[in-house]
Amino acid sequence: MNRFAQSLHLELRHIKKRPRYLILTTLGIVFSYVFFLTFMSEGQPERLPIAVVDHDASYLSRRLCHEINATQGVEVVAVYNNHSQARQAMQRQEIFAFLEIPKGTYSDILSFKRPHIALYANNTYLLGGSFTYKSLATISRLASGAVQREILRKKGYTDQAISGMIQPIELDTHTLSNPTANYQPYILTTMLPGIIGLMTLLMSVFVIHNELKRSPTGRLREMRDYPISSIWGQLFPYTFWFSLLMIMGNVVLFGFFHFTLLGSFWTLVIASVLFIVALQSMAVFLVGLLPDMHIAVCIGAIYGTLAFTMSGFSFPVCSMPSYMQGFSAIFPLRHYYLTCSEVAYFDSPAVQYLPHLVVLLAFTAMSFVGMMLIRKQINNRVSCLQ
Amino acid sequence: MNLLSHLRDIWNVSCIEFRRIFSDGGVVLLFCIATLLYPFIFGAVYSGEMVRNLPIAVVDESHCEESQRFIRKLDATPEMNVCYDCNTLQEAQTLMRMRKINGIVYFPADYGNRLAHLETARASLFCDMSSFLYYRSVLSGASAVLLDEIQHIETDRFGRTGITGENAEQLVEPIPYDDVKLYISNGGFGSFLIPALLILVLHQTLFLGMGILYGTSREQNLSVESIPIHLRGRSVFRVVIGRALTYFAIYVPMTAIVLLLFPRLFQLPHIGNISSLVLFLIPFLLATIFFCMTICNFVRARDTGVVVCIFFSVILVFLSGAVWPQAAMPKFWLYFSYIFPSTHGIQGFIRINSMGADLSQVKFEYLMLWAQAGVYFVTATSIFRTLCRHKSVKGSDIHADGLNPEA
Repeated sequence: MNRFAQSLHLELRHIKKRPRYLILTTLGIVFSYVFFLTFMSEGQPERLPIAVVDHDASYLSRRLCHEINATQGVEVVAVYNNHSQARQAMQRQEIFAFLEIPKGTYSDILSFKRPHIALYANNTYLLGGSFTYKSLATISRLASGAVQREILRKKGYTDQAISGMIQPIELDTHTLSNPTANYQPYILTTMLPGIIGLMTLLMSVFVIHNELKRSPTGRLREMRDYPISSIWGQLFPYTFWFSLLMIMGNVVLFGFFHFTLLGSFWTLVIASVLFIVALQSMAVFLVGLLPDMHIAVCIGAIYGTLAFTMSGFSFPVCSMPSYMQGFSAIFPLRHYYLTCSEVAYFDSPAVQYLPHLVVLLAFTAMSFVGMMLIRKQINNRVSCLQ
Repeated sequence: MNLLSHLRDIWNVSCIEFRRIFSDGGVVLLFCIATLLYPFIFGAVYSGEMVRNLPIAVVDESHCEESQRFIRKLDATPEMNVCYDCNTLQEAQTLMRMRKINGIVYFPADYGNRLAHLETARASLFCDMSSFLYYRSVLSGASAVLLDEIQHIETDRFGRTGITGENAEQLVEPIPYDDVKLYISNGGFGSFLIPALLILVLHQTLFLGMGILYGTSREQNLSVESIPIHLRGRSVFRVVIGRALTYFAIYVPMTAIVLLLFPRLFQLPHIGNISSLVLFLIPFLLATIFFCMTICNFVRARDTGVVVCIFFSVILVFLSGAVWPQAAMPKFWLYFSYIFPSTHGIQGFIRINSMGADLSQVKFEYLMLWAQAGVYFVTATSIFRTLCRHKSVKGSDIHADGLNPEA
């Protein structure tokens, strides 16, 4: 314990002497919270630009434009005369989708012919494409409904009978734990902790490597003989600081921004601390594995950024090829994401999230492997010095 | 003669830079290996493209023919599999909490009766919101079935009132619509995201590699000393050009592999005209190189370089407008995003490569990239010159270090 305190004290002195790194990373983390929370503040993209290709130029087409503009999701920014103009506008990224109304649509409706309208959505932009598509498809169906209603009225049906006729089924959609289908909670509850994790990983690699580089032989011997207390003592200020940042980050997300949290906040606190410790353990392992600091940092950066893809919060792991599914387990962010979604969205029983916490804890074992490798490195160094 | 000496200087600086790059294992790892590794990992991860066969549960309290038909159709969609048939909603919710299913469709007891009485029947859909793609798949599968079922029931109802055949068809859907999903017809996630990530990989490996290189030379006091002494004054632009040419030479084959070969190899969208792409990528590479040179001049130590560059990776994806539409971005962040070559690079590349746009349709991005290349060239040169001047004031330490400036 004494050695732990000594190492801790030593590292605190280092931090006091050169606080630049810690301040820089903290500022970076604060910036990313501010960035993401202000960037997607709408929750869902609104007023996305679309166009109408109006070959008909009738009462109906103008009415459709008004109806479209009355919806929240999309806005008609242009009315074109032909298809290629609209397509070019799409390629210039001025619109995400367009509705094409062929010539004679209105008169066709009046004479009971079925005019076909077409809607084109740009799928190269996932959110823009799918939101505009959804809005336009709804409008098209509503237009059909309006015509049906008119025809049935003419046939002498009452309004109540009509609504039963033209809408036989209603499907209430319940978006569990995210009633407004807000895009922020999907992204931010995992991405922001991921950024903190990335910083923790890189910072820990620097710190241990620097310590190995600059320490006198006496301190090196101590690290060799008592690796656990000296290395964890040295890492402890960072464990504390980054865990604190993560917990405060979660307070901001779930407290101030009211993202749904059905389960206990304390479970998230435990997950956060374990997540930071897991990444530090991976850092110790990386340092042990790669004695060259430059290479260790680069590999750390590659490993750390891949975590965002492999955690599965954007593209579900179950849809990845099976060999990649196994690969995802070596990223602590994956286990944090699973814990967080179970606790926050579902308030799952402990049986569900405990395994993830245990895996996070198991990452600590990597630090012991790392320490063994570091001991070997120190042995080589010390024998060289002697 | 003058031009010849300029060219010779540029060539010399390029050679020095080339040696500097290839003597640093970390930089080689980033420039050559990471640049090729990332695309392969992304290609493998997103090769499934779609989220299919999500397990869902149904709760059918009405046990009528219509609800059973609805359930059979749900099971037949590519998006989901009906894996559990629960007796109560609570049972299904427990399954959801145990994370066994990603959605629940609930038919209340009066579902069949209401349909029989020609009223509107209500069913409920509960979506797992832990990932956007679960929600999207469950919703789109259920909506498709709902539409089909509505038409089925309507045709049936009109039939009972004596409206049949073409008349019924006309009444069921008076204005049918054809939906055309342009460019990526299956709505694949990889086809949408990978093109943006490819540009980002080039941008970020260059940024990170240069950050490390500049940081290391600053740490070792070599950032100015490594260049010939006569180039440290007014002629410093030759150093910037020489260095930029080195990065350009390394990144031309990398870019060709990553942006031209890779989409063809992994069956990603690649309908763009190659000559437009090449013309577009030249200013992108130049702008990126000069941008990185400008920023990296401020990097004092290797470690800081890595932290700064890595930190921006995630933010740049969002700033590019590939994920969150530019039209919905707050104005401040939109203008902020114009600072980075990756924003214009990603926008232009997606449009040329995935949407078949020509150069005139990405005019704004193209001109912005050239403007960035110009501006960042000037800033890189002037900052580097200031560094040189700063050094020459403290000039004595060159000799104190005992370094040979020509080395």
